[in-house]
Amino acid sequence: MIDRFLYLVSEGFRSLWRTKTTALATISAIGIAASFVVFTALLGENLSSIVKLARSQYEFQIFFNDDIDNNQAIQINNKISNLEGIQSVNLISKEDAADIFKHEFGEDIFDLLNYNPLPTGCVVNLKQPTEGRLYVDPIINKIKKIKGVSEVRYQGRLISVIERYYEGFFVAITALAAAILFGTVILISNTIRLSIYARRDLIRILKLVGATDRFVRFPFMIEGLLEGFFGSFFAAIVSYGFVEGGNYFLSLFTHYRIRWDFDIVIILTIVIMMFSFIGSIRAVRKFL
Amino acid sequence: MISFKGVSSKFDSGAGIENATFNIDRGEFLCIIGPTGAGKTTLLKLIYMDIFPDKGIVNIDKFSSDKIKRRNIPMLRRKIGMVFQKFELLNDRTVFDNVAIPLHVQGIGIKAVKEEVENVLDNLGIADKRNHLPTELSGGEQQIVSLARALVKNPLIILADEPTGNLDPAASLRVIKLLEEINDNGTAILMATHNYSMVKDRGHRFLQIVEGEVRG
Repeated sequence: MIDRFLYLVSEGFRSLWRTKTTALATISAIGIAASFVVFTALLGENLSSIVKLARSQYEFQIFFNDDIDNNQAIQINNKISNLEGIQSVNLISKEDAADIFKHEFGEDIFDLLNYNPLPTGCVVNLKQPTEGRLYVDPIINKIKKIKGVSEVRYQGRLISVIERYYEGFFVAITALAAAILFGTVILISNTIRLSIYARRDLIRILKLVGATDRFVRFPFMIEGLLEGFFGSFFAAIVSYGFVEGGNYFLSLFTHYRIRWDFDIVIILTIVIMMFSFIGSIRAVRKFL
Repeated sequence: MISFKGVSSKFDSGAGIENATFNIDRGEFLCIIGPTGAGKTTLLKLIYMDIFPDKGIVNIDKFSSDKIKRRNIPMLRRKIGMVFQKFELLNDRTVFDNVAIPLHVQGIGIKAVKEEVENVLDNLGIADKRNHLPTELSGGEQQIVSLARALVKNPLIILADEPTGNLDPAASLRVIKLLEEINDNGTAILMATHNYSMVKDRGHRFLQIVEGEVRG
């Protein structure tokens, strides 16, 4: 039993070597197709991280009415903190505002005007949704309704542009990845079918000498797994090369680096190996 | 050991065999004679159950064509050695590997496989060719490798379908003699050939197939 198992496993490896030209063509086809899937996944991953970076910059500046004292300011601050979707609130007292003014403009507001006209206020950061679009307007409206709030300033146009395209972009990238993956599955299935078709004589001879279906199928399954693995490995190397090349080019203009995600490659390798494995079983079945 | 009882198997083209009834005993050497397309290969396919009769029953040892399950066909084929006109060897494997295949199929240990294969190659006089690829051998040598592959599993019967069809007269005679030696050691042989003159004076039983009809 063990002898037969070892023989079949070794046959899977040797078969890949015996048909090296066909195997190389199959691995290349799988590799090229898998590269497109990796690129799409990396594109999604990197654009997602850019959106996250942009979201982390979302900041509202809220100004309170002039007649609000420090105690009332703390109460308003607490009310804002309790609203849904708020990550953090930093109170800016009149004194803090004067310090910020001095830091930014190099002049003391008291020396200029002999009094401090800057209002009490706060800076609000938002929680990032785990998925989907971030809706800012309902939060702004709730803040505006709090008694004592006079003005809310935020980068409304930028946020609305980012959030408007966020969902549509992810739908598009998911659809694109699904389409490419579907194409890859068809390509892998057909490539493996052709390579097995070229060896239908082997299958027939094995059947004639008394091989069971399982015996015939096993080396092809091993071969399919190996082809899937090497194809994915090829895609990993190609994508890594492109990402590193892209990063070198980007480094001339910006500090941003494209991420090459090892997890994506691992997941893709497992998926491609699984499809190659199933593709092999289906292709062999036709000749059994 | 093998019996055909009223067996008919026809193809759409009209070829095949019609109402065949005969037996093959253990250790017998039987020649099936007939022109190309007479139904000889159909008869052999019925024995190794590549096809099934439209009518009648084929019994081989404990296996019966009307009862056998698909999963048991490999077990039947392990008891039958097969030799074909076109050798049917795997050209990307050495002689040794080709002959070893039926033993690996049966799950025999690596050491025993080596012994058995060496033994058969020795007995058939092609031990020196063990590491050659089939494409490096003559037609006669390839057919002997094919014979070694059939013999290595110690079958009840060897089915030889036009085994000399692609060979010159000297190589044909060598193959026939080897088949007779194998038969002398107790293995039944069923040889299909269109070349009656080659086997007529060798003292074997004959069956003639003419347009699908089997005559004793």
